[in-house]
Amino acid sequence: MRRFSGPRALSVARKEIRHVRRDPFTLAMAVGVPVLLVVFFGYVLDFDVRDIRLRIVDRDNTPASRALAETFTASGYFKPHGPPAVSALRLLAEGRVKAAVFIEPGFAEDIARGIPARAQVVIDGADNQTAGVIAGYLDGVATVAARRLGADPPADLLRTRFLFNNELNSRWFVVTGLFVVVMGVLSILMTALTVAREWETGSMELLLSTPVRPLEMILGKLAPYLGLCLASTGLIYAAARLLFHVPFRGSLWFFLAANVLFLCCTLAQGLLISVLTRQQQLAMQFSNLTGLLPALLLSGFIFPVESMPAFFRILTWALPARHFMELCRGIILKGAGPLELARPALWLAGLAAALIGWASVKFKRDLEP
Amino acid sequence: MNATLVGFVRKEFRQALRDRRMRVVIFVIPVVQMTLFGLALSNEVKNVRLSVQAPPADRLMDDLRKGAWGSGWFRPAPDQGDPVRLLETGRADAVLIAPGGGASRARERGDGRAQLVVDGTNALRARAIDGYVHALLRRASDETPPPVVAFDVRTLYNPTLATAVYLVPGVMGLILGLITILLTSMSLAREREMGTLETLLAAPVPRWEIFLGKTLPFVLLGLADVPLLVGFAHLVFGVPVRGPLWALALNAGAFVVTMVATGTLISTFAKNQQQAMMGGFLFLFPAILLSGVMAPVENFPLWAKPLAWLNPIQYFVSLNRQVMLRGAVGPLFWSEWAVLCALGVVIALWAAARLNPDLR
Repeated sequence: MRRFSGPRALSVARKEIRHVRRDPFTLAMAVGVPVLLVVFFGYVLDFDVRDIRLRIVDRDNTPASRALAETFTASGYFKPHGPPAVSALRLLAEGRVKAAVFIEPGFAEDIARGIPARAQVVIDGADNQTAGVIAGYLDGVATVAARRLGADPPADLLRTRFLFNNELNSRWFVVTGLFVVVMGVLSILMTALTVAREWETGSMELLLSTPVRPLEMILGKLAPYLGLCLASTGLIYAAARLLFHVPFRGSLWFFLAANVLFLCCTLAQGLLISVLTRQQQLAMQFSNLTGLLPALLLSGFIFPVESMPAFFRILTWALPARHFMELCRGIILKGAGPLELARPALWLAGLAAALIGWASVKFKRDLEP
Repeated sequence: MNATLVGFVRKEFRQALRDRRMRVVIFVIPVVQMTLFGLALSNEVKNVRLSVQAPPADRLMDDLRKGAWGSGWFRPAPDQGDPVRLLETGRADAVLIAPGGGASRARERGDGRAQLVVDGTNALRARAIDGYVHALLRRASDETPPPVVAFDVRTLYNPTLATAVYLVPGVMGLILGLITILLTSMSLAREREMGTLETLLAAPVPRWEIFLGKTLPFVLLGLADVPLLVGFAHLVFGVPVRGPLWALALNAGAFVVTMVATGTLISTFAKNQQQAMMGGFLFLFPAILLSGVMAPVENFPLWAKPLAWLNPIQYFVSLNRQVMLRGAVGPLFWSEWAVLCALGVVIALWAAARLNPDLR
């Protein structure tokens, strides 16, 4: 039994580096594209919903009802929309407005008599993302409108402080999330074809006849891409700090270690897919299907992991991106250290070892059939 | 039907369906993924770990705890310890601190407010938690005067605001787009890499037949997924299909054709399968994020909106929600559908023009 040899792994790495250097397109993809995507979508994705198109139907037409209508439009969250000739329900059905407010006759009278004056709000539920937000804004509108109509403001019982992000800047959370997702998917794609390509072009047979061992092969193929991905991590870090002013509160060394663990996981996942499929077309299908949508939807990027049913929450533990998301937001935004984040860090280390081991074992079977 | 075309279709079907793993990719994974996302995802904020720090026998805070655990939105977190540490270590999402001497006594004195410290790393979640705790405290302190203005809220199309109902029609678009783009672009890039495309182009077959023959099979495969996905969405997730089925079919047809054309276009730029895959990613990643499934399109900055207007996935998702949830096939449906078709035609013409015989 031959022992693991560093020089042999190194020569595999050198061969892989030569491959990459010959293909400037892949090089650009690895280093340039991630930072472009993070910057672009860092500006585009905005979860502070403003200017919601709203139709106000004021059938009371009194100073009181007009004050309520004005409260809606002055809040900055809503914008009146739609030609007056078209009925509100039709505008809703056609999706031209997101909500409609109906103020019936008697609104002002109710206020004068001191009983709750009611108005009906109809929300378009075909798009929950805004429907939930609209429902959330209504409380605030009711309070402001009450104050305008001369009521005493209700006693303030609570003062809230938002730790780690005083102004609730949603950009910080979007940029760190984008970083995890983009790196996660691209690193899988980087390695997904490397082994399958060698099988298809026949160069694998040549490699098999050399004394290189499976683990050396896997690590040798992994290392150059790890370097590439770390370079693009550095670029994204610079962009996040300079363009988005994301605070960096934790330790850089810990962040670097977390990155290496995460990239080992995803690069090994790509290699594993490549080893298992041996065919580029299949390898790509599998890596996109297991990489793209799960990283976007199940990692906690936008949809919180905490809100998932217990079974699915446990299922996400197998997803490297979910742990790295926790690590990244913890280190960058909270300044948490290895002690606080021991659990996700250990999970990542375990997953990395398991994926590298699995890829080597599967590869071994190929070598010695 | 044209014999050459039939031959093409037969060849591509055999190639795509020969491998058991490929059949899994085309027919099983889409349904599994849609089920997974439909069941798992929710943008409701749930399982908030709340720590309530109050002196013993503070009646107001005890009531609040009872309300919180009963609501199903909160889970208890340790009631002792430094609030900042609790949030830093992630053992709590929010800490409610009663004023000195307890909230009940403070209320009798008429001064002293409780303090709520919320983990702000997830801005969306933090805002929702703040709202929940305000509501809890108002309910617990049972001295709410009758409101001056009250809203009766009615939510159309999805009265319970079930996440699956609006998310599944969108996720369907993502999965369908992903599968068709990847199938098409890789298959053509493979032929180019292997050199068989050269043989084909040299054969005495009109160019349009080659183009149709290489794309039609993938349109058919993509369309085969549609009834599968719609059926699952309706039967498993109870997503209503309020509009006519022909409108769904029109939408899916235009979308799949556009996606296959896009996949073909990507493959004409790629020298090998690796580049085709990266090109596919370069299209899919932005298209998915700009589709309106992850974030509302209305919220995009002005300069980014035109990109959403050029995004076929965005139209499919919007049309799908219109037909399935609103049941409305009106002017908006037809105008968006027309744009989707126009996009498809332009992309298809571009791809056909690039699939030219010069193989330098």
